[in-house]
Amino acid sequence: MSTTQELKELACSEIDRRSEELVRIAKSILAHPEPGFREHKTSALVAQRFREMGVPYEDGIGITGLRGMLNGGAPGPTVAVMGELDSLKVLGHPHADPETSAAHACGHHCQIAMMLGVGAGLKAVDVLDELSGRVALIAVPAEEYIEIEYRDDLRRRGRLEFLGGKPEFIRAGKLDDVDVAMMTHTSTSSDGGVITFGGSNNGMVAKRIRFEGKAAHAGGAPHDGVNALNAAMIALSAIHAQRETYRDRDTVRIHPIITQGGVAVSSVPADVRMETFVRARTIEAFTSAARKVDRALRAGAMAVGGSVTITSLPGYLPIRSDEKMLGLYAENAAALVGRGSLARLGHRTGSTDMGDVSQLMPVIHPYVAAATGDAHGNDYVVGDYELGVVTGAKAMAMTVIDLLADGGTRAAEISDSYKAPMTKGQYLSMMRSLIREETYSE
Amino acid sequence: MRTVQELKARAQAAIESRRGWLIDLSKTVLGSPETGFQEYKTSAIVSERLTELGIAHENGLALTGIKGYVHGGRPGPTVAVIGELDSVRAPGHPHADPDTDAAHACGHHAQLGMMLGTAVALSAPRIAESLSGNVALIAAPAEEFIDVEYRWRLRSERKLGLMAGKQEMIRLGVFDDVDMAMMVHTAGSLGDGRFVLGGTSNGHLVKYINFIGRAAHAGGAPYLGINALQAALVALNALNTQRETMRNEDAVRLHGILTKGGASTNAIPADVRYEGRVRGRTAEIVDDANKKMDRCLRAGALAMGATVKIVTIPGYLPMNNNGSLMGLFGDNAARLVGRSNVRRHPDTQNRGGSTDMGDLSHIMPVIHPYTVAATGSGHGSDYLVHDYEQAVIKPAMAMAMTVIDLLSGDAEMANRVIAGSPPAMTKDAYLRLQDSRLKEETYRGE
Repeated sequence: MSTTQELKELACSEIDRRSEELVRIAKSILAHPEPGFREHKTSALVAQRFREMGVPYEDGIGITGLRGMLNGGAPGPTVAVMGELDSLKVLGHPHADPETSAAHACGHHCQIAMMLGVGAGLKAVDVLDELSGRVALIAVPAEEYIEIEYRDDLRRRGRLEFLGGKPEFIRAGKLDDVDVAMMTHTSTSSDGGVITFGGSNNGMVAKRIRFEGKAAHAGGAPHDGVNALNAAMIALSAIHAQRETYRDRDTVRIHPIITQGGVAVSSVPADVRMETFVRARTIEAFTSAARKVDRALRAGAMAVGGSVTITSLPGYLPIRSDEKMLGLYAENAAALVGRGSLARLGHRTGSTDMGDVSQLMPVIHPYVAAATGDAHGNDYVVGDYELGVVTGAKAMAMTVIDLLADGGTRAAEISDSYKAPMTKGQYLSMMRSLIREETYSE
Repeated sequence: MRTVQELKARAQAAIESRRGWLIDLSKTVLGSPETGFQEYKTSAIVSERLTELGIAHENGLALTGIKGYVHGGRPGPTVAVIGELDSVRAPGHPHADPDTDAAHACGHHAQLGMMLGTAVALSAPRIAESLSGNVALIAAPAEEFIDVEYRWRLRSERKLGLMAGKQEMIRLGVFDDVDMAMMVHTAGSLGDGRFVLGGTSNGHLVKYINFIGRAAHAGGAPYLGINALQAALVALNALNTQRETMRNEDAVRLHGILTKGGASTNAIPADVRYEGRVRGRTAEIVDDANKKMDRCLRAGALAMGATVKIVTIPGYLPMNNNGSLMGLFGDNAARLVGRSNVRRHPDTQNRGGSTDMGDLSHIMPVIHPYTVAATGSGHGSDYLVHDYEQAVIKPAMAMAMTVIDLLSGDAEMANRVIAGSPPAMTKDAYLRLQDSRLKEETYRGE
């Protein structure tokens, strides 16, 4: 019988032993970026690794997701360790796919390597048998909530119900048997520490918007047309005009893009499409802001005498990290990088579907400052793979050991004392209640 | 019986003898500009001059208007000669009232000189007695359709029915005994020529708009407010995007001013007011453009969750110059300045602006020629009448001579104009039309 400390040392030395291979995996994914629900190559790569590691797994969850399972020596709680499969789309990123602009400008490629690193560390000789419970190794699709039109079309064809990977995992029941979950995200060092954690994130809803007007010759007969692009412009102006009505503490973010602005410059645009998020710190705040956005969108259609179809889609919920699990994680992180290199985060105004998971079970979502540049920008590059993959994997493996050692009592205690804001049933019905489609014309 | 030529010569001589008096009168009015339905000083000046000429007249018509008569020797039709009392507002105009910004940047002061010059000519010895019929000398208030909030209040207090001078005078019956009417407007350069005849003007609707939001501390609690100024800005932006949907030939004009944009900079504006104008070549075009404006106004309110009150006020009808009257006036003008200095624009040539003479043109034969006597841009701070001979004396002579053509003998010419020019509508039909254009709507955006 080894001590917890000995188990951690065994796992860490196994991760160190495999460090080059893990970094190679991350770089291989970096070189083949795929946006959400299209991560077929990335998914196949994970599957191959699971097979090589002898990890039984299920794939095709949420189209491209996978779930491997490691069983401990005795029954006990299940801890999920997650990595995200998908890339963003960022024009001009040095590692962007020239065809699709897909690029790992958010560091998810490191997450997959970390997740596999945790698996490798725990499979080291004599570790897993000493743990009570199971470790779910989850490669989850589509954390970046992008390509809304594409995904909404998948939804309409019944391939998806929700447009993010973790909500789809929840819906498919693939987290039903999980008691606690963790993942580690890369970040830039501007966050004030080498490893940072805690804090909160904005939640959000997404909108797919279509303004319809009437095409006409833009030179010859513009009076016969109804300009859908002008409707969109008026709506955008009106969205901006509301900004002063948001409370600072609600950290509202609204940032639309136009995905189709017309088809020919000589024709009055008759079909203009936009996508937007409406984010805020609380569900109430983004719901209220979304009403104002809808009003502005209708105003655009009203002004030009066109119509607008607004498809409102559930996005992600605000995250809450579990303090007890963070305590365990922080000790392990301190052992790896020194206590002085840790920092607690405040509120972050981005969103993650780990927030959804956090509504159902205890989670942590720490960051390893392995990158430079602006997240989602064309200069976001992971430079420190030792930190971004190897150290990140070790900190999680050590935390899993804390959770499942000693008969899995810590995981059980954390799970038992967690007061979930909602049940899975409540979560799904709330998400479904956010799906709405409205066509407005005067 | 004197010949028409003798009468005209006598009329010209009478005006010549009062040249200084007429120009001084115009310059006096220039020096005390007053906006529509507030032309009390201007009205008193005109009344005093008519009294000096021994012309009986009525005051206080449509608040500040005047109507006097020169009666001919025998009964016959009545021809009105009109001058407008009011100024516009043109801040920075050299003759602007420093307190009100009122300024004669449209030359109406010269019109009163012309109208009185015509009175001088026709009331001269041995002219009126040779005419069959009467001349109605009318000083009309409020041709510039401005100060909408003020006029809307007058209307609410039942001091006005229609909100512009000639409109209201028609309603009050001032034109009931008038068979045809004329006036001359000053203009800046319109190409060659001293007199420009013909053409048309836009019809319009007048908008009085109130965006209503909710006040709140703009720093402390802007989220509790509803910003009525943002609603107006969204609406005006939206309005601009509609411009591409207007046909060039329809001469649509959408424009306005914010008369109230908020009460204090540290409070969310909750009461914002806009006075606007929708102009176009025909009533149908105006109605169509007005629908678009209303859509945009409502959209501004909808976007912000504000309320908008839209008052649509009957504006002017397009101008329709009478061809026979124009022919007579053109001949007289040619005698004064030479044929080559008299230009005639095609009936369809639209000057883009609007005048309530257009309203009058729907119920009787009228002309509204221009005399080129100013420089600068109409309604601009640089619009100045520089040539008072052409601004006052020549047009007065041309109008007096035209009246002589019309009413001399048995007024055969006037009767021929009346017989040949059935009006587009009766007074009652006109009033019904204008009443039907008045609309009030409250839209709550939510």
